[in-house]
Amino acid sequence: MKKMKRFLAIALTLAMVLSLAACGGSKKEETTTSGSEQTQETTEASGTSISLWTYPIGGWGDENAVKELTDAFEAETGIKVTVEYLAYADGDDKVNAAITAGKAPDLIMEGPERLVANWGAKGYMVDLADLLDDTDKAEISPAALSACVTGEGAVYEYPLVMTAHCMAINKNAFEEAGALQYVDLDSHTWTTEDFFNAVAALYAYYGDTVAAVFCAGQGGDQGTRALVNNLYGGTFTNEDHTAYTWDDAANIKALEQLQNTDGITFDASLQGGDEIVKFYQGILKMGFCWNIAQQLDPNAAGTGAEKTITGDDIVFMSFPSETGESKLCGGIWGFGIFDNGDSARIDAAKQFIKFMCDSEHTADAVRTAKYFAVRDTAEGADLSGIWADEPIMAEYNKLMPYLGDYYQVTTGWAQARTSWWNMLQDIGEGADVAETVSTYMAEANAAAAG
Amino acid sequence: MKDTSNRSKAYKVFSMIVLIILALLFLFPLYWIVTGAFKTGQDIYATTPAWLPSQWTMDNFAKLFDRRSAPLFEIGALVGPTVPGAIRWLVNTVFMAVAAMLLTCITAAMAGYALAKKRFIGRAILFSLIVCAMALPKQVILIPLLKEMSALNLYDTLWAVIFPTVGWPFGVFLMKQFSEGIPGEILEAARVDGASEWRTFSTIVLPMVKPGIGALAIFTFINSWNDYFMQLVMLASNSKYTISLGIATMQAETSVDTGLLMAGATLAAVPIIVVFLVFQKYFTQGITMGAVKG
Amino acid sequence: MAKQPKSAMSRALVRRETISGYLFLLPSLIFFVGFVIIPMVICIVNSLTDANMNTQGLGNFVGLKNFIDLWKDDTFLEALKNTFVIVIVSVPTVCAFSLWVSSAIYKLNGKLLSAFRCIFYLPVVTGSVAVTVVWKWMYDNYTGVFNYVLKSTGLIEKNINWLGDSKYALWCIILILFTTSVGQPIVLYVSALGNVDQSLVEAAQVDGATNFQVFWKVKWPQMMPTTLYILVITTINSFQCFALIQLLTSGGSGTNTVMYYIYYTAFKLTEKAGHFGYANAMGVILAIFIGLLSALQFKLAKEK
Repeated sequence: MKKMKRFLAIALTLAMVLSLAACGGSKKEETTTSGSEQTQETTEASGTSISLWTYPIGGWGDENAVKELTDAFEAETGIKVTVEYLAYADGDDKVNAAITAGKAPDLIMEGPERLVANWGAKGYMVDLADLLDDTDKAEISPAALSACVTGEGAVYEYPLVMTAHCMAINKNAFEEAGALQYVDLDSHTWTTEDFFNAVAALYAYYGDTVAAVFCAGQGGDQGTRALVNNLYGGTFTNEDHTAYTWDDAANIKALEQLQNTDGITFDASLQGGDEIVKFYQGILKMGFCWNIAQQLDPNAAGTGAEKTITGDDIVFMSFPSETGESKLCGGIWGFGIFDNGDSARIDAAKQFIKFMCDSEHTADAVRTAKYFAVRDTAEGADLSGIWADEPIMAEYNKLMPYLGDYYQVTTGWAQARTSWWNMLQDIGEGADVAETVSTYMAEANAAAAG
Repeated sequence: MKDTSNRSKAYKVFSMIVLIILALLFLFPLYWIVTGAFKTGQDIYATTPAWLPSQWTMDNFAKLFDRRSAPLFEIGALVGPTVPGAIRWLVNTVFMAVAAMLLTCITAAMAGYALAKKRFIGRAILFSLIVCAMALPKQVILIPLLKEMSALNLYDTLWAVIFPTVGWPFGVFLMKQFSEGIPGEILEAARVDGASEWRTFSTIVLPMVKPGIGALAIFTFINSWNDYFMQLVMLASNSKYTISLGIATMQAETSVDTGLLMAGATLAAVPIIVVFLVFQKYFTQGITMGAVKG
Repeated sequence: MAKQPKSAMSRALVRRETISGYLFLLPSLIFFVGFVIIPMVICIVNSLTDANMNTQGLGNFVGLKNFIDLWKDDTFLEALKNTFVIVIVSVPTVCAFSLWVSSAIYKLNGKLLSAFRCIFYLPVVTGSVAVTVVWKWMYDNYTGVFNYVLKSTGLIEKNINWLGDSKYALWCIILILFTTSVGQPIVLYVSALGNVDQSLVEAAQVDGATNFQVFWKVKWPQMMPTTLYILVITTINSFQCFALIQLLTSGGSGTNTVMYYIYYTAFKLTEKAGHFGYANAMGVILAIFIGLLSALQFKLAKEK
């Protein structure tokens, strides 16, 4: 009992100290809110504090790297930026919960499928058309710009960087299995036939899964889509992005062949990120969820560019197609602003976008992201030479011409993604391909229609 | 007779062996967390599991502490020194668990006494309401609760997690069961002596239900330390995270780093296990009493 | 004449008791009503509307449309089925297992007994998130210990994709839930077995009853209150398993549950995202089932 008393006493004092801390904390919040109200009244931008939530887009998921950028911004404008880092697995949930609570961040960094097709379309975002003058429109790559603009002409994302998503192979494993003959290491392309020959050779050598069609969730699904679409030249949506077309014969043929190929598993325990780990561990010999940021720093583990943890060489490859010329999925990332009804903070957020995407600081912002700039010049600063000293980036440029249609802005996109991975899970468990495909695609098209 | 005793001896040996195997299996996840935290990437990613770290390393903890940063505490204008995010998460978790524990114990002890010993109007209805609400998963009331917290300006504060925990009526139920055991004559005698209601409660009832409060305290502490769902929805900024939420977020990031996760899990599990081992005796006493009275 | 003052007094007493009763209840009621009852009421009202993330007020009244839609939603029905499979499988197995373990350890000497008790309790205190991340690693298709051990002992030939195969995934989750649920029941049964009236046991033994008979005829009835309490807390526990689903499978591989599907509908970026009316309707259905279940359990408890 004595011990109990002492415990309770300690707990009580601890709690008292801590609740003091907490009361203080809430008081502080009050003062900051009243502070922001004051700035609202005076519409004086300096001293304002804005929040940025960013998905892990290359180095934009790394606190130290981002801090340098926000510090530079604060030094120039006096606007403080608090940054929160989201993960793809639950970032959307966090943003939606915050919108529900009426506490959405001021700035968000992601791609058009979220900013334009989702939150923008639902009316949560600020139209950024006034940030884009004619020079900007001329400078920004037309493909990137058009993805950021809605049919009605509203701009919900100011693009910063872009890339083409690709796949990767473990060169040492290919060499050992005698599969290196099927890949063109110089052009980084291969044909469908090469691909299946390589899988057969690897499977004959290792006798185990060599590549995984991951489908535990939507994470990294551009990889599985690109693989299936490219094998026999299928498409995912129609050209005007109004309906889904992934039930064409080419896609069904591809899915059936993947389903029946030894060495390829439909793995419902992996998402894109998990698949990268397995590839990085040297277990899978091919990775379907790859891009330049991964090539520069595999698994973001900091163990050296182009190497697995076992020291094998990683070679990035275009997705296989019948001709060898594939259509790669693009990633376009930039900033959007949530409409929190506070013009001072919206203005501050716009200053931030201008600073990062269209100024002499853009080079740093792009370099942090480890992707390609969407423009060659920003306010007179030349951006074409950012990656001149990085041979891997130069090599990767060989894939950029294969950048395909940015179809991720099709209506009903969120449902289409969900249907896609659910469909893959069913196919992986042996369901009839044609039937399963048509069921799930109908689901996506229903969402696209209404 | 001899035959049966032989058989029962054999059964005893057999069950002991099974028990030991089971105990080892129950210990294994914990062992795997702690050793995993000290393994190098090579060990963790090896297809043949390394039962012991081939080389003990602190890298995972270094990475964990290098990941995010936050002030140690924020008291008014006074902002603590910048520390690794994981440390702040621990501070938050302790604060949350202690605050939930204290509030629950105070409110539940009073309410439990009233429910057990006062014959007031609406008692039966209230008690059935409490019983029904006890099993209610928090997901059911998730959305209204989120809107309510935002209206109260509590979204993204630890209070948004603490208050629903205190509202969960299990504590009231438990304390009611304990208070049933207080003999009515003592209370009657106190009333005859002219003691006020509050005096009766504080000098007679409280000492008698102390074991119950102890049990409830530890129970609430562990429960709220390990809760995760409310935190996931209510907390948005890194400096408000708890340790559970912090680890869950690390697991959600694009690059899965198992060693880092195990380091985080160690940091989350070890303090609470120490608390449990130290207060183990009171704990088992408490939960047993709760059940016997129930 | 003699009766009247007494009833007047008791009326005064009732009033006094009511006032002081509610005063004592007040602090607790603030939290209970504020953070459980009011949200529950809003949840019920909302379930009859088309409220979503954009809606400012309550949304438009749509009657029972959400409930009818739910009845046609295969995902929801599967989630409901899984939720009940989890509860129906885990509650009896937890009870039976902990009863067996307790009867095997309750006569051991103090140190050994408390060591066993601690070990079985450890997964509870380790915390759901920490437990989940380590099990995810152990279940891993390629590098997990399960596949390694089973393969090297020759029990399986090919790696089993524990969490990715709908044949296994739900059972894997139930297994984790099981390890984190048996701790408290074991503690409870150990003490209940220790408290069994020894004179009755001895009397039965003198009458020539076997151990098995002694257990069922003498000990088991005396432990009935404990068993019922264990049933209640295990049921509560099983309904709370959210972290396991969210962190291990995100509701895939046939492991969706109503608890996860509510969260999913409310906040995941799907076409349904923010259909709060719909999500709340699920909550109402779940609450009704749980209410019925607890009412049943407490009715049983009262009868005993």
